[in-house]
Amino acid sequence: MSDVQLTNIHKSFGITRIVKGVDLHVRSGEFLVMVGPSGCGKTTLLRLISGLESPDIGDVHMGGVRVTDTPPRDRDVAMVFQSYALYPHMTVRENLAFGLELRKLPRKEIQTRVEEAAGQLELAHLLDRKPKQLSGGQRQRVAMGRALVRRPRVFLFDEPLSNLDTALRVQMRGELARLHRKLGATMVYVTHDQVEAMTLATRVAVFNGGKLQQVGSPLELYNAPTNQFVATFLGSPSMNFLAARRESGTLSGPGFSLPCGVDLGEVKDVKVGLRPQDLRVQGDGEFSGTVEAVERLGSDGYAFLQTAAGPLVSRFDRGTNVQVGDNVKVCLLSNALHVFSADGEAAILHPGDERPRVEVPA
Amino acid sequence: MNAARTGALALLLVAGAAAAAPPLRLWHAYRGAEEAALEQAVKRFTEESGTQVELLALPYDAFASKLASAIPHGVGPDVFLYAHEKLRSFREKGLLARADSRLVAADYLPNALPALQLDGATWGYPLSLKCLALYYDRDRVPSPPATTDEWLLQLEQLSRPEDGQFGLAYEAGDFYFHAPFLFGFGGTLFDGAGHARFTGKPMEDSLAFVLGLHRRGYLPEEASGALVKSLFNAQRVAMVISGPWFAGEISPEMNWGIAPLPSVSSTGLPLAPFLGVEAAFVSSRTQQAEGAQSLAHFLSVGDGAYLRATAGKQVPADTASHRTDAVKRDVFISRFKDAALHAVPMPHDLELQKMWEPMKLALRGLLQGGTTPEAAGALADRRYRALHRPAPPDAPVMPWLWGAAVLGLAAAGWAFSTRSREPFRKRYPEAWRGLAYVAPAAVGVVVLILVPFSVGIGLSLFHHEPSGAYRFVGLSNFTDILQSRGYAITEPLSFYFTLFVTVAWAAINVVLHVGIGLLLALVLKDPLLRLRGLYRVLLILPWAIPNYITALMWKGLFHRQFGAINALLVAVGVEPVSWFTRFSTAFAANVVTNTWLGFPFMMVVSLGALQSIPQDLYEAAEVDGASKWVQFRRITLPLLRPALLPSVILGSVWTFNMFNIIYLVSGGEPGGATDILVSEAYRWAFQRNEQYGFAAAYSVLIFAVLWLYTTATKRLTATEAA
Ligand SMILES: Nc1ncnc2c1ncn2[C@@H]1O[C@H](COP(=O)(O)OP(=O)(O)OP(=O)(O)O)[C@@H](O)[C@H]1O
Ligand SMILES: [Mg+2]
Repeated sequence: MSDVQLTNIHKSFGITRIVKGVDLHVRSGEFLVMVGPSGCGKTTLLRLISGLESPDIGDVHMGGVRVTDTPPRDRDVAMVFQSYALYPHMTVRENLAFGLELRKLPRKEIQTRVEEAAGQLELAHLLDRKPKQLSGGQRQRVAMGRALVRRPRVFLFDEPLSNLDTALRVQMRGELARLHRKLGATMVYVTHDQVEAMTLATRVAVFNGGKLQQVGSPLELYNAPTNQFVATFLGSPSMNFLAARRESGTLSGPGFSLPCGVDLGEVKDVKVGLRPQDLRVQGDGEFSGTVEAVERLGSDGYAFLQTAAGPLVSRFDRGTNVQVGDNVKVCLLSNALHVFSADGEAAILHPGDERPRVEVPA
Repeated sequence: MNAARTGALALLLVAGAAAAAPPLRLWHAYRGAEEAALEQAVKRFTEESGTQVELLALPYDAFASKLASAIPHGVGPDVFLYAHEKLRSFREKGLLARADSRLVAADYLPNALPALQLDGATWGYPLSLKCLALYYDRDRVPSPPATTDEWLLQLEQLSRPEDGQFGLAYEAGDFYFHAPFLFGFGGTLFDGAGHARFTGKPMEDSLAFVLGLHRRGYLPEEASGALVKSLFNAQRVAMVISGPWFAGEISPEMNWGIAPLPSVSSTGLPLAPFLGVEAAFVSSRTQQAEGAQSLAHFLSVGDGAYLRATAGKQVPADTASHRTDAVKRDVFISRFKDAALHAVPMPHDLELQKMWEPMKLALRGLLQGGTTPEAAGALADRRYRALHRPAPPDAPVMPWLWGAAVLGLAAAGWAFSTRSREPFRKRYPEAWRGLAYVAPAAVGVVVLILVPFSVGIGLSLFHHEPSGAYRFVGLSNFTDILQSRGYAITEPLSFYFTLFVTVAWAAINVVLHVGIGLLLALVLKDPLLRLRGLYRVLLILPWAIPNYITALMWKGLFHRQFGAINALLVAVGVEPVSWFTRFSTAFAANVVTNTWLGFPFMMVVSLGALQSIPQDLYEAAEVDGASKWVQFRRITLPLLRPALLPSVILGSVWTFNMFNIIYLVSGGEPGGATDILVSEAYRWAFQRNEQYGFAAAYSVLIFAVLWLYTTATKRLTATEAA
């Protein structure tokens, strides 16, 4: 049992409130990825879990035991710091072995673990160097290694791959996923990289302004974001939002009108959310606008339009010719309509829903 | 008419010359009543002779050296007043003119003139006499003792050491005060060959007698002048041996008397103190010999002497004033005159100068260290022989000159052969500008470092004594030091003993400085501590105060009787510690003082270094499972090392040469055991017979030791940086 339970966590630095009431349960053996804009408190949350900070209000439980007042060294967690925090006076080997020596592991065991980690992270040839003599990426891998050799109950990763080149990052990602399967440890992982989040996560937790917005599997979040923030945050390019008015069965705005098969109740003003992937540039469609920019990914790609209702990003298929300055039409694929409240705080409808998720008054 | 005119002109000229004759210059070191009396006497002289006199009072400490430097340059006094002990030294420096025919032996007390005679002539006019006598408390001592047997009986009744009551007090650790006992038991200062003598029955008897006084609790311990005074005024001691100066320190409530010291019952000889004769000396360079002689003579007899006795309370050396009623009625003066009649003029022989330090050592050993009288005498004798080692034989100079020439040639040849092929001007096109920039610093280095350094090395090859010129002795000084000639290597005078003390001193200090500095830095770094800025300033203060002031402060704190530290010990019920009588406590006192001075520097360095360690390393270690102590040992210390190592090396070199603390706090006590190499070198040069060459050899050895040390540590820092 090595789950982590955060209950109503509040944390301020001076008068600045950073974490504003977070409840989060990290299940045992789960790979939980935390995402959110810079400065939203992700690192702070990791430090709260590790014990380097203690919450002003709220409790931390690990494996069912309250550890709010337990010092970090007794929590059996390992953390990869955003700043690496390698010991500058020790060689890579000593850096890796430090935590193991302190836990009085036999020398043989330490050696095998260090060499194993060095192999996984491609550090074998660097073991006798000091951190000063390493590149940024190499240092980051040493920082990872230092956590891995420990084999604790809970791993905390603070953007551990941010400094690697693309190829190495892909490789490390694979390595991490494999390790997670092999060790079965609980991992909490902070990243700004959506692909990392989507590929590694058992569940993703989205934070904004010190609050948990939504937690769920990557697909759940992609398909059914609970608010405009989560919807914007996941998916690339991000979801289009257009202000619309409900009149009986249709949602209409300047220059467009979309049918809505579900009765949304009394609500008048809403926002419709349209993923660019669900829109197509075609000969005919609900929207029309001028192409302002084109992003090609090979033969297909995305077109950035200006429509009467505002800017809109739409996918175009292979064979569709889109040029900047063209006037084009865009249609919405069936069953792809997201509807949010006008302030974006709540999702009213996601594709496939039969009833509105919330009742929003007129 | 013509003749009259010429006569008038001549008269005018004479008058002009008389008016233009500069006043006689008289230098002295008197203060208070003595000074006032002197001024009166000089005024009288001017009235009688018409000659103006200009008085100048100099500080006593600087007086002798002022005379020695001023007189040869013709800017000194015409007459100066000084005690006779310096007679030989003044004479050898050629500062004195003989007293002329005005001096009549019968005018003076019998033992005054011999003190001023040297090489068959008399060199000054005796003014006043100073010697030791017995002061007693009339309330408790109805009649002063005439013999030591009587004295011992009285002392037995008067002393109750357990109540802090003592029969007698005097500065027993000082040979000046012990000399009466030596003479009383029939001893002499010098042996047949004129060498100081510390052994023999009279010396042993005198030491045994004093030891007896001490053992039976008649004497307070470690009596200094200040202690003697306060005990007498508090009526805790009934008798005091002291000189005329003591009278001024007795409180007015006391009912006291003076008597000559008693005689020794077993020998029948009086306890004869040293006699000091203050005299008026005429400068050898005076331009007005006639006036100067008559001024000096005037002060020594007649009205001059009378005024000094009545107004200045001096014991005049002339006989006439003792016959006047006013002086006869003055018990103080007449008793001191009686005491002076038995006194032994203090020899102005240089040999006496060599006796003080060994005798001090012997007396301390006897009274504080439990040494027997025989052993104490032998100890003094050994110290004397060590301090006044026989001059090494002259070494031939030529081989050295040849050696230096060959070395110089070799160096020049090497410089020539390795010179660059390129012409100098081409290589350094702006050499002159560069030279101009470098010149001030270069001059400074040459004048302040290179020249003294070379002179020091050169000096170490010579032998010097106060009486003699420099003689070239080659490496004898070094071989004597390194072979520890004349004393065992476990004795404080040996180079090895001192080296050991010095190394221990430096090591212990540096460990404490770094330890305390680091500890405080760790505490002050903590951002939670309020008023951190204030603490930092307070803790740096010891460093900012000049170190000799701090040293004197601590010396006071460690004082046996009045020091705050002993007061604290007594307050918590611990016996007061006599800090400077044992090596361990004296050394500890030095270490405490220097630690007080030294930790702030290390603290500042550590603070800076600590703050440059990123906080996240501690967090990483914390998560890795390191306790605070492990974090300190495995993170803090290794990361501090590069910053601390240079400071530690610097600090140890400073401490190695920390003269001020040793000199001012323990002063090398006991018996030179706590001296370090630099203070030892200082003593050889300035306190032990002016052995400049020997002291220079010490300095060269100190340099060698430090050079080895820094070369070794340079390696260490180099590997550290890699
Ligand atoms: N020790 C501290 N004292 C004061 N403010 C702090 C402290 N630590 C963090 N903060 C503030 O708290 C906020 C959240 O910081 P945190 O490091 O948790 O953000 P983050 O989500 O990890 O951001 P990033 O993605 O840029 O790493 C930031 O505004 C930061 O300035
Ligand atoms: Mg962060």
